[in-house]
Amino acid sequence: MVLEALKYMVLGMGIVFLFLYLMVVILNWQHKLVEKYFPQKEEPSATPSKRDKLKKVAAITAAIAHMKKSN
Amino acid sequence: MKKRLIGFVLALLVVMIPIGAIATVSHMTDENKSAVHHEEHQEKSIGSLIEGFYKQTGIYAIFNPQEGAKNALGEEMSTFHQSFGRIIMIGIAFLLFYLAIAKGFEPLLLIPIGFGGLLANIPLANIIGDHGFIGELYKAGIANELFPLLIFMGVGAMTDFGPLLANPKTALLGAAAQFGIFGTLVGAVALSQMGVFDFTLQDAAAISIIGGADGPTSIFIASKLAPDLLGAIAVAAYSYMALVPVIQPPIMRALTTPEERRIKMKTTREVRKLEKILFPLTVLVLTILILPESSPLIGALTFGNFVRESGVVERLSKTMQNELINIVTIFLGLAVGSKLAAEKFLVPETLGILLLGLVAFAIGTAAGVIMGKIMNKFSKEPINPLIGAAGVSAVPMAARVANKEGMREDPTNVLLMHAMGPNVAGVIGSAVAAGVLLSIF
Repeated sequence: MVLEALKYMVLGMGIVFLFLYLMVVILNWQHKLVEKYFPQKEEPSATPSKRDKLKKVAAITAAIAHMKKSN
Repeated sequence: MKKRLIGFVLALLVVMIPIGAIATVSHMTDENKSAVHHEEHQEKSIGSLIEGFYKQTGIYAIFNPQEGAKNALGEEMSTFHQSFGRIIMIGIAFLLFYLAIAKGFEPLLLIPIGFGGLLANIPLANIIGDHGFIGELYKAGIANELFPLLIFMGVGAMTDFGPLLANPKTALLGAAAQFGIFGTLVGAVALSQMGVFDFTLQDAAAISIIGGADGPTSIFIASKLAPDLLGAIAVAAYSYMALVPVIQPPIMRALTTPEERRIKMKTTREVRKLEKILFPLTVLVLTILILPESSPLIGALTFGNFVRESGVVERLSKTMQNELINIVTIFLGLAVGSKLAAEKFLVPETLGILLLGLVAFAIGTAAGVIMGKIMNKFSKEPINPLIGAAGVSAVPMAARVANKEGMREDPTNVLLMHAMGPNVAGVIGSAVAAGVLLSIF
């Protein structure tokens, strides 16, 4: 019976590793495919950030001007 | 307007009076009947009535156990299980309440399980029998393995597989930790062979799945392979999951050097939404191709996760994460508690289960850490072996423990996100291990 259990152990660990190893391979492959065919659109995230920076600069200058005036 | 109202009331009276008259008459005949009925029973004196009632009380049932009395399921019970066994089990139910309330051990499950156990040990009530409400819950969801699967669906909807997708190879740590299951299987069979325990192969398999550190999976397997041991297995699985912060750290420290614990890992990459949507489908296809036997468990998990990541059915996802899993948890806990009846729980096997479950947990943790060390040697990027311990599922407790142990050596080393990868892979790993066991038996 112990021998039987040992066989189950080899089979079980073998299948668990096989399954998760295949998963790793497929997930890496999937990542590459996704990057290749559906590349991340960088531009829409870049433009508003430029605009945001300008807005921030404007806000800061306005604040400084306001402080100088009130002094 | 007034005329109409009066007309309406009059019409009502015309209808109601005959109905009332008929009802009174029939009631009177009823009373006559019951009077006749009553006369037949008047022979009993007040003393014998009180005695008869006393024999229906819990006090009598507990202090006067009868040889050959049957339990709710029609099996004979020993006098010990009828009397002191019940008192001990009620004590154990209170212990579970204490652990849940004062110590915060998995209260969501231990409270329903404990209360189910309390109700299961009430003499004469037959709550866990055929027609008792917990007995019906058991038949409705545990005997046919429905509840654990519904819980798995909720787990899928609550789990973010992002950390695993960011660094897929940490899934191998989740695979290594499943050695706790199969190592314990061999150990349990060997001990039974030597005559220490008396477990069949099926029993041993159901017990060793505790090492997967996954409550629903343990219940799923136990209800299929060893329904008699279900109570002890479920209690052991949930108690040890709650004890992860106590059981794991000494093993983790013993197997790693301080330098290894200080290893910093690269920050994980960002995971795209599309990858997250594809993930449950990929895992399901893999399951179908390799191990259809696990597809109930993995199917439920991936369905829940797909609903979550699809992003268009927020309502369903919210229901699975909250209402559904909460309702099923109540039912599951009570039904599992029914297996805490004295005649099922107070048997020598229970001690063996508690012991083997602990061993399974320890072996799983050790295997995960050792695999972490091996991967650190051969991988280009550094891997902190501590995250291997998170490969036993117990989401997210095991990952938090790995993080905490890392912080002890180096407070700036945040491992939480890295540990979540093997942690969620462990859930898939134990579902696969469960499928393997089911395919064997």
